[in-house]
Amino acid sequence: MNINQRIATVLLTSRIRQLLVAVLSVTFGISMYIAMNGFMAGVNNVQTEMTFTAMPHLKVYNDLANEVEAILPPPSDSQTVLIVNNARNIRYTEGIRNATAIKTAVRDLDRVMGVTTQLNENVFIRNGVSRVSATLSGIQTQSEDQLFRTTEYLTEGDLFELDRRANGIILGTGLARRIGVGMGNNVTVSTSEGLSKTFKVIGLIETGAQSADRTRALVSLQTAQQLFSKNKNYATEVLVNLHDFDEAREVAAQIAPLTTYKVEAWQEGNGQRDSANVLRNSIAIAVSLTILIVAGFGIYNIMNMTVNEKIKEIAILKAMGFNGGDVIEIFLAQSVAIGLLGGFTGLGLGYLIVCIIDRVPFDLGSISTLPMQYSATDYLLAFSFGLIITFLAGYLPARKASKIDPVAILRG
Amino acid sequence: MTALSVQQLHKHFYEPVPFHVLRDLSFNIEAGEFVSIMGKSGSGKSTLLYLLSTLDTDYEGQITINGTSLTGLAQNQLARFRNEHIGFVFQFHFLLPEFSVLENVMLPALKLRKQSRERIEARALELLYLLDLKGQEYKKASRISGGQQQRVAIARALINEPAIIMGDEPTGNLDSVNTKIVFDIFRQLARERGQTIIAVTHDDEFAANCDRIIELSDGMLV
Repeated sequence: MNINQRIATVLLTSRIRQLLVAVLSVTFGISMYIAMNGFMAGVNNVQTEMTFTAMPHLKVYNDLANEVEAILPPPSDSQTVLIVNNARNIRYTEGIRNATAIKTAVRDLDRVMGVTTQLNENVFIRNGVSRVSATLSGIQTQSEDQLFRTTEYLTEGDLFELDRRANGIILGTGLARRIGVGMGNNVTVSTSEGLSKTFKVIGLIETGAQSADRTRALVSLQTAQQLFSKNKNYATEVLVNLHDFDEAREVAAQIAPLTTYKVEAWQEGNGQRDSANVLRNSIAIAVSLTILIVAGFGIYNIMNMTVNEKIKEIAILKAMGFNGGDVIEIFLAQSVAIGLLGGFTGLGLGYLIVCIIDRVPFDLGSISTLPMQYSATDYLLAFSFGLIITFLAGYLPARKASKIDPVAILRG
Repeated sequence: MTALSVQQLHKHFYEPVPFHVLRDLSFNIEAGEFVSIMGKSGSGKSTLLYLLSTLDTDYEGQITINGTSLTGLAQNQLARFRNEHIGFVFQFHFLLPEFSVLENVMLPALKLRKQSRERIEARALELLYLLDLKGQEYKKASRISGGQQQRVAIARALINEPAIIMGDEPTGNLDSVNTKIVFDIFRQLARERGQTIIAVTHDDEFAANCDRIIELSDGMLV
């Protein structure tokens, strides 16, 4: 330890209470930064997870063509008048005919995590007199579970039972309540073409997304294909999940040439989820930075007071041959020490708060405690912001101290 | 040998009103001389001392200490020069109250870093014994009497074996007993160690026993 650091240490430790206040303000700022950002990231993760319980990152389906060829060529001369009445863009085909081929092609792409096919149709589900409309999804249980972790959302029954029982059906909890059925009861499913079939409820599912839970019914893909008299390559949608959902647009562009059907990334029509995440993150960062800056003002204040209190000692140090740089070092070392002390205790306290929040009970859908993300980056950023702010807060008073004119002070 | 030489020194104050404080001072001080600067209040004697000590650099003329011309040097060079060649004793002791007596004495030498910590400590103890401060070494500087504090300040001024010790009313705050002790120390340092000492003082008795008196009146030598 050189003489400047020794002086800094003595000056700092001679005022334990002020030191404590300054350190605590940094500690508080840094721990809040960590806790708030961890919590917000946790909330974002849960939101994302909920969004993707029913929605894939990418979807291939049969859509109306966007560009329609003109029915007749435009007239070649000005003497001819062309009138087309009541032109319509008609979809000639239903669903995807070669779903299996598309699935196989997409599955081999690098960034793809999983692919599944679904056959979705609107149906009526009846139990005695109560009749409600629902969306019947024929699913491939294995790949469906891989994409959406469907088994985790089953409150009763077993997803894979669908493969073993052709007359098995899984209902959303809201849907089951609406028609008043429970496990083991029978329901009748009627298609829009008038076909009816009786199914047995072998499971209940609750994702937390109300609208889905009130209308969703799952059967196996084969059962659905039979019900709607389709062949085994038929599906209405091919659903794709990626390793990184932020790459959805790029992968969509990569898949588009493989098929004539519409390929849609999740961002289309879900922009609000993205902006909500950005907003939450900005609020968390703004609030925690504000706390850190307030801590910075506190340190600035304390260091300024110290400089004023020690103005005679500074003058005598300068008279004895300490130069401006030494004086800056002496006072800057004090605030950096405050920053480091506050930084390390702040990291500890931050981790503690994070652990506590993570254990607060909070029941919603698939989560049972408040969401929390553990991210090393947050800790690193909090620590460096804390250091930068204490450095700045200490530098200004230190510079002021270095500019003290010893003659003015020593002459009184 | 000339310890300090001043040529055609002028000093102006511009605040609050323009004032010509020092007018064309020229004098030499030989090594080992014990000189006091006297004069009425406002005669410019303290101003002169701060110019000589390089703390105040706003002047016209030429100041040379131990053969080194100090006029026009940068602040950091001057700080280094003060550290090595000038010892200060002020009216008020200006010790760092949080440090022990011993550490206060060692500070300028630790800054200079020409010797190891052990040698500095040994020398500081030697000086404290010389100034009759045995037994006070490890006390806080704020816990000893005013006369003792002033002697600690003298020990601190001596630690780097400076060319000149400058005192600004070094006995101004002391009772007559301590004044005599401090004066005797200065006297002894000049006579036995050949230490050059320049002290601003009001005290006629103090001045009368010096080797030489530089008397200022209205910014001029008398």
